[in-house]
Amino acid sequence: MQFKSPFHWVLLILSSLVLLFILAPLAGMILKTSGTELFETVIDRDVRKSVWLTLGVAFLATLFFSLGAIPLGWLLARNSFPGKRIVQGLIDLPIVLPHTAAGIALLGFISRDGLMGKIASGIGLNLVGNPVGIALAMAFVSLSFLINSSRDGFAAVPERLEKAALNLGASSFRMFFTVSVPLSWRSIASGFVMMFARGMSEFGAIVIIAYYPMTVPVLIYERFNQFGLSYARPAAVLFLAVALMVFIILRMISVNGGWKRVSPLREEDI
Amino acid sequence: MLELRNISKNYGDFELKEISIQIQKGEYFILLGRSGAGKSQLLEIISGLRKPDRGEIILNGRDITRENIQERKVGLVFQDFALFPHLTVFDNISYPLKMKKMKSGKIVKKVGEISDNLNVKHLLDRKPDVLSGGEKQRVAVARTLVTSPDIILLDEPMSSIDTPLRDDIRRLLRKINQSGMTILHVTHDHRESIRLAHRVGVIHNGRIIQIGHPVEVFAKPANRFVARFAGIQNFFKVDIIRENSRILGKSNKMSFVLPDGDYNENGIVMLKSDRIEITREKNNSYDNCVRATVNEIYRTESGFELYADAGEIFHVAITEKIKMGYNTDPGQTLFLCFTSADLQVI
Repeated sequence: MQFKSPFHWVLLILSSLVLLFILAPLAGMILKTSGTELFETVIDRDVRKSVWLTLGVAFLATLFFSLGAIPLGWLLARNSFPGKRIVQGLIDLPIVLPHTAAGIALLGFISRDGLMGKIASGIGLNLVGNPVGIALAMAFVSLSFLINSSRDGFAAVPERLEKAALNLGASSFRMFFTVSVPLSWRSIASGFVMMFARGMSEFGAIVIIAYYPMTVPVLIYERFNQFGLSYARPAAVLFLAVALMVFIILRMISVNGGWKRVSPLREEDI
Repeated sequence: MLELRNISKNYGDFELKEISIQIQKGEYFILLGRSGAGKSQLLEIISGLRKPDRGEIILNGRDITRENIQERKVGLVFQDFALFPHLTVFDNISYPLKMKKMKSGKIVKKVGEISDNLNVKHLLDRKPDVLSGGEKQRVAVARTLVTSPDIILLDEPMSSIDTPLRDDIRRLLRKINQSGMTILHVTHDHRESIRLAHRVGVIHNGRIIQIGHPVEVFAKPANRFVARFAGIQNFFKVDIIRENSRILGKSNKMSFVLPDGDYNENGIVMLKSDRIEITREKNNSYDNCVRATVNEIYRTESGFELYADAGEIFHVAITEKIKMGYNTDPGQTLFLCFTSADLQVI
C-alpha cells in the first residue's frame, strides 16, 4: 500500500490513534510494574490459585457448553424455522446485556430458590460461591461467541458435501463429525477461543454469583479496592501475560490444527 | 429396474408434477432439461435426500420411496463432484466403505481395484483441490461406484469439465454403462443424449414432456421446447389451408408448402437450419424456394450461420465450402430452398 494521497494519510493517522489507545494503557501498566513486584505476585499463593481457577473454570465451561453450542450453530446454519430470528436475538442478548444484570438474572436462577439451584441442592451442591456457579456465569456471557462462530463456519460448508456424505452411507451423526465439523473446524476453534477468553475475563456477572473463590478479575478488583492501584497492577500484568499466552497457544492450535479453510470453502474447488 | 410413479413435489415457487419414468436394467437414460426444469430436484428425490409429496419410487421391485437414504443403493454423483476437500482421494473413495465399517484390508483392496479401473490410482495421496476437473469427476464416480449401487445418478457430469476432457469422461461413462451399470444422467445439453443415451426424457417446468430414443425425440420433437433442444431454430406460426391439391402453411409474412398429412387449422412449422440450401436463382426442384436478404453471418463450430430475411427470419447453417461459392455479405440477395419433407408441423 502506498500512502500518496491525503486520504491514506488521514486513515493512517486515525488508525494509529486507535491502536495507540489500545496499546498505551497496557504498555503503561506493564512499564510501571517492576520485576520485583511481578515476582512477588507470581509467588503469591492466592494469585496463583486464582489464575489456575480462572483458566480452568473458563476452559471447562467452554468445553462443556460447546457440546450444545456447536450443534446449535449447525441447526441455525442449516435450518429455517419460524422464530429463527427470535432465537438468534436471544443468543446475542448476553452480549448487549450489562453483565451485572446478567449476574443478577443468573443468581435468581441458580440460588437455592431458583430452578437450577433447587436441582443442584438436591445433589448437595450450592452453586452460589462455587466454581460451578462461576462456570455458569462465564458461559452465560460468552456462549454467543461460540454459537455464532460455529454457525458461520457451518454455513460456509457447502450443503452438497453433507448430502454427498449421506448418499455415501453416512448416518447424520457421522456426516456431522466427518464432514461438517472438520470443514468448519477453524470457525469453531475461533469461537472456542473467543468464548474462553471472554469467560476468563468476566467480572460483572461473576462478582455477583461468586466473590469467593476469587477469579483473577475479582482478585484484581479486590486488591484495587483495598490496597490501591499499585497493589492491583502486578496481578493485572500477570493475568494479561497469562491470558495472552493462552490466547496465542489456542490461536496457534486453531490455525495449524484445523483443515485449511481456503480450499474447502471455495465453491469452484468442490 | 427403476420406476418412478407419478412423483410430485411442491417447492413453493416450483413444482415437480406427476413424473413417471421407467428405466431398464443396464440402460443409459438421459433426462434433458433447462436449468430450473426440476432435474436436480428429481435426482435428490430418487436418492432420498428429499421425500416426494406424492408418488412412488420402485427400485428392483422394492418400494424405496420412504426408505432411508443410506439403504437405497442409489449412487448420486453431484454436479461439481462434491469431493470432501479435507480428505485425500483415497479417503474420499474409501469414505463409504468406512461408513459400512468394512475392514481396512478389504478397503485398501477395493479402493485399489476401483481406482485402477477408473485410472485414478496415481492420485490416491492427493487432495481434491490439486486435481483437474476430469480427475475430480473420475474420483467422484469412483467414490460412488465403490458403494456397488444398483443405479447411479449423474447430475450434469460434464458441466464442470473443460471441453477437451469431456470425450474422456464420455468414454468412461459408456464403459461403466457397458459393464452393466444402469445410469440416469441429467443434463441441459442435448448433444450428450445423442452421444450417450439409449433413451432420453425431456423435462420442462417440472413435467416430463417426451420420452424416447434420442434420434426419435429430436427427429419428431413433441413441441417447440424439445425442438429447441434438437437445435432447431426456425419456427413459424402458420394457419394451415388446402389450396388446389397442396397444403399450405401461411404465416403473416409468407407461405410454406407442407407435406401431406392431417393437420389442425393452425400449427407451428419447424425447419432445421442445415436443411436449407442457398441458391442464386429460384430452383424449381424444391417445392419451397424463397428470396431472402442476408442480414448477418457468423462463424460457428461447424461453419457459418446465416440470418436471412424472407419476410420471416431464417437461420441457415452453411459450410465453409458453400460460403466460398456465394456472396453472403449482409444486404446480398439469395434464394433459400427446402423441400416440404424437411418441414415438420407440430
